[in-house]
Amino acid sequence: MLKDLYEFKKDLSRRGIFFCLSGPISQNLVAEIGSTLEQKMNLEDTRRPTVLRVFSTVVENAQNIMRYSDEKEEKLSLGIIAVGYEDDEHYFVLCGNMVENRKVERLRNNLTKLRKMDKHQLKEYYRKKRREGPPEESKGGAGLGFIDMAKKASKPIEFDFKEINEKFHFFSMKTVI
Amino acid sequence: MEKLVIEATKYTPEIYFDCEKNILEIRGKSYPENTSVFYSPVFKWLETYLGHEKSQDITVNMELIYFNSSSSKILMDFCDILDAAAANGKAITVNWIYEEDDEDAFEFGEEFQEDLEFVTFNLVEKPPG
Repeated sequence: MLKDLYEFKKDLSRRGIFFCLSGPISQNLVAEIGSTLEQKMNLEDTRRPTVLRVFSTVVENAQNIMRYSDEKEEKLSLGIIAVGYEDDEHYFVLCGNMVENRKVERLRNNLTKLRKMDKHQLKEYYRKKRREGPPEESKGGAGLGFIDMAKKASKPIEFDFKEINEKFHFFSMKTVI
Repeated sequence: MEKLVIEATKYTPEIYFDCEKNILEIRGKSYPENTSVFYSPVFKWLETYLGHEKSQDITVNMELIYFNSSSSKILMDFCDILDAAAANGKAITVNWIYEEDDEDAFEFGEEFQEDLEFVTFNLVEKPPG
């Protein structure tokens, strides 16, 4: 592994990824990642609204892992987050975590529904959902995270479920800002 | 009744609610892990304050650089409470302060403005820096 580390880093770079974290995610870590990425984007003279959208997408994704990842060590939730550039003009955020098989269908339906909505529909849907109480499975969230990300993205959110074993799928999603 | 002062952290905003001057301010970023834990003393204070004060004009300054989606829900609840108090005769002005060019924050402000009937809701652009 020692000798492969450089190749691993180069592989990330080749994919446009300049930040990547795989492992346990905590609230303090989210805040540090957020502010470090903000600094980096400021150095690159990124437009302020873009900085805030990337920041927001990273926070929503990281907090999704904290709340919903089904890979846990005690209270720590595990997942993977990566941030990169694509086509010279867009940032993207990748996020992945394990989910129990029984949750796959609901997630897939949710995200498929959002993919079909345009900006205006997403805005209305967000307002409607915000008026409703949080869904039962929301664990301290308001159930608005995906809609918020879809609103801020420049194209529909891409997602995938990879079957791991009889208990889990690996859920991954990509948001392009 | 005493002022409510909570210092900002990396992921929670500064709360400065002054019941003598009738100025309530929320400033900074809001993305705590559990929003209801952070905001419950804020709502408790607000309930007591609105129950006590009689006729003063109340100014609310909301300057949120970033808030996560669950904070967005909480902020709407906060505005709803103010709107209900305004419907019952209190004069309440809410200033939604956003950074120049931040179209998302502006849009959020607009949505709040459309949803609220009784408070005077101003969208205030702040120059960068």
